[in-house]
Amino acid sequence: MSLLFALAAAVLFGTGAYLLLDRDLVRVVFGVVLVSQAAVLTLVASGLTRGAAPIYPLSRGPVSDPLSQAMALTAIVIGLAVTALLLVLVLRVVQAYRSEELAEVAVREAEREARLERLHEREHAEEEAAAR
Amino acid sequence: MTALSLSLVVPWAAGLVLALLDGRRRLVGWVAVCVLGANLGALVVLAAAVLPDDPVVVTTGNWPAGVGITLRADALGVLFALLSSLALLSATVFEVLEGVRERTFPGLVVLLAAGLTGVFVTGDLFNFYVFFELAMTAGYVLATYGGGRRELGAALVFTTVNLLGTFIFLLSVAGVYHVTGTLEMSGIAARMDEVDANAAVLLAAGFFVAFSVKLGLFPFHFWLPTVYTGARPAVAAILSGGLANIGAYGLLRFGGELLPGELDLAAGALIVIGSASILYGGVLAVSRRTASEMLAYSAIGQVGYVLVAIGVGGPVGFAAAILYTVVNALNKTLLFLTAQMRGALAGATFALGALSVAGVPPAAGFVGKLELFRATAGSPALVALFVLGSALSFVYAFQTYQYDFWRGERRGRRSSAPSRASSPRSRSSSSRWACGRSRCSR
Repeated sequence: MSLLFALAAAVLFGTGAYLLLDRDLVRVVFGVVLVSQAAVLTLVASGLTRGAAPIYPLSRGPVSDPLSQAMALTAIVIGLAVTALLLVLVLRVVQAYRSEELAEVAVREAEREARLERLHEREHAEEEAAAR
Repeated sequence: MTALSLSLVVPWAAGLVLALLDGRRRLVGWVAVCVLGANLGALVVLAAAVLPDDPVVVTTGNWPAGVGITLRADALGVLFALLSSLALLSATVFEVLEGVRERTFPGLVVLLAAGLTGVFVTGDLFNFYVFFELAMTAGYVLATYGGGRRELGAALVFTTVNLLGTFIFLLSVAGVYHVTGTLEMSGIAARMDEVDANAAVLLAAGFFVAFSVKLGLFPFHFWLPTVYTGARPAVAAILSGGLANIGAYGLLRFGGELLPGELDLAAGALIVIGSASILYGGVLAVSRRTASEMLAYSAIGQVGYVLVAIGVGGPVGFAAAILYTVVNALNKTLLFLTAQMRGALAGATFALGALSVAGVPPAAGFVGKLELFRATAGSPALVALFVLGSALSFVYAFQTYQYDFWRGERRGRRSSAPSRASSPRSRSSSSRWACGRSRCSR
């Protein structure tokens, strides 16, 4: 069972990490979601006991660890919130840059940097001249 | 005990209310400043109780110990909480004086203060994650503050990379619970010795990666320059002076207290990574022209010192790491806030911060550097590295000072250019910003 959990979490994390490297921003969000699910799955798997649902009245047999489930629940809620936040962020970036591709955003940034750099060069040269 | 609860509950409740109000109104901004001041005051009272005696421990909801979630304020946690609260307070005062641009700003800063205070005073590993995420989420939204293209791009990078870091942290939390069976930090520290060495090293590596991403140490630094240069000055000060403290605190708490064996094992690696960070940050900061870029790379270099001190370890090493973190957070807050301002007073303040970064005697940074030298006195190589790093920081800090502050004055004297940006009396960063942009578009 542990091996199964480990494999599932590994596949989720790996897929998520691969998607994170993608240039498409929506895929990046999916990557974050998958990585968060890998963490949630690991939390569930980290329970110390397995058995019946830990709800009162307790059954006779072994009861599963309620603490790890509570943690998983909290992590799911937090994961949902940050995913919503990330989606809104992507939406605003798409609106601002009119592009869903990270590469285009990077190209625009690079153009801006180059322009700034030229500006600084010119200012510097002017000042040198003025100082002389 | 009351101070501990108050320092957490006041910003939390007030943050929720402030988030609903229109933060662009001056009154709301000053209310946020008052709340942050109250948070700082409660933390000072708490520090007065904690520093001479034992840590203050509160178990929430009157549950028996071991069942309820504990809040535990000790000297390390209170010190970091005080430091972060101070940084947030100064950045908020700065921004309120400048004029807040977005309605959510005051509420978010107050919520960030609640999250940071929680991170530093919790005694429970999972609660650490929850407060961590609360603070980070406020930070993600704050990074978009200003709403321009650059801010949005920077916020996207910041959010994605740091979310990955937090989930790696969560994976390690799950692992720690599985191998020790407890989430209470003191319990974990006691039980960690019996844990299988391989598992412990893996967990320690997870924590290290998570906190290094937060700090922006050398191999994990790639997000940092984009974010610190893209964000507005007040936000950059909040992120580097307040939020980044989580990283240093985490390394000290988790490395020094929970996993001391693994820290000893990795001491050499930490020193190498820290040294790489110092050199990389220093060399790149020298090559930068604008103040915010210089400060961003300088931040990478400065946390390298903290890591080296942690790697050296022992009481002297940890003391040096804590002291240097405090000095560094104060420097960064000061420099990010003053870098965009102009005028004699701002110039003098920037110069003071620059002296502190370089570690020149009259400034606070000297004390930090002195402790670092004392911690590494046994190793000539490290002393040489620190001297080189300090020389680099002296060069980059004063290069920027000369370029930004003296240039303004020289231009002002010529006074041929009617541009607002070059006026030496233009103290407001917003006018400079607006002008910088219009010049770009020309």
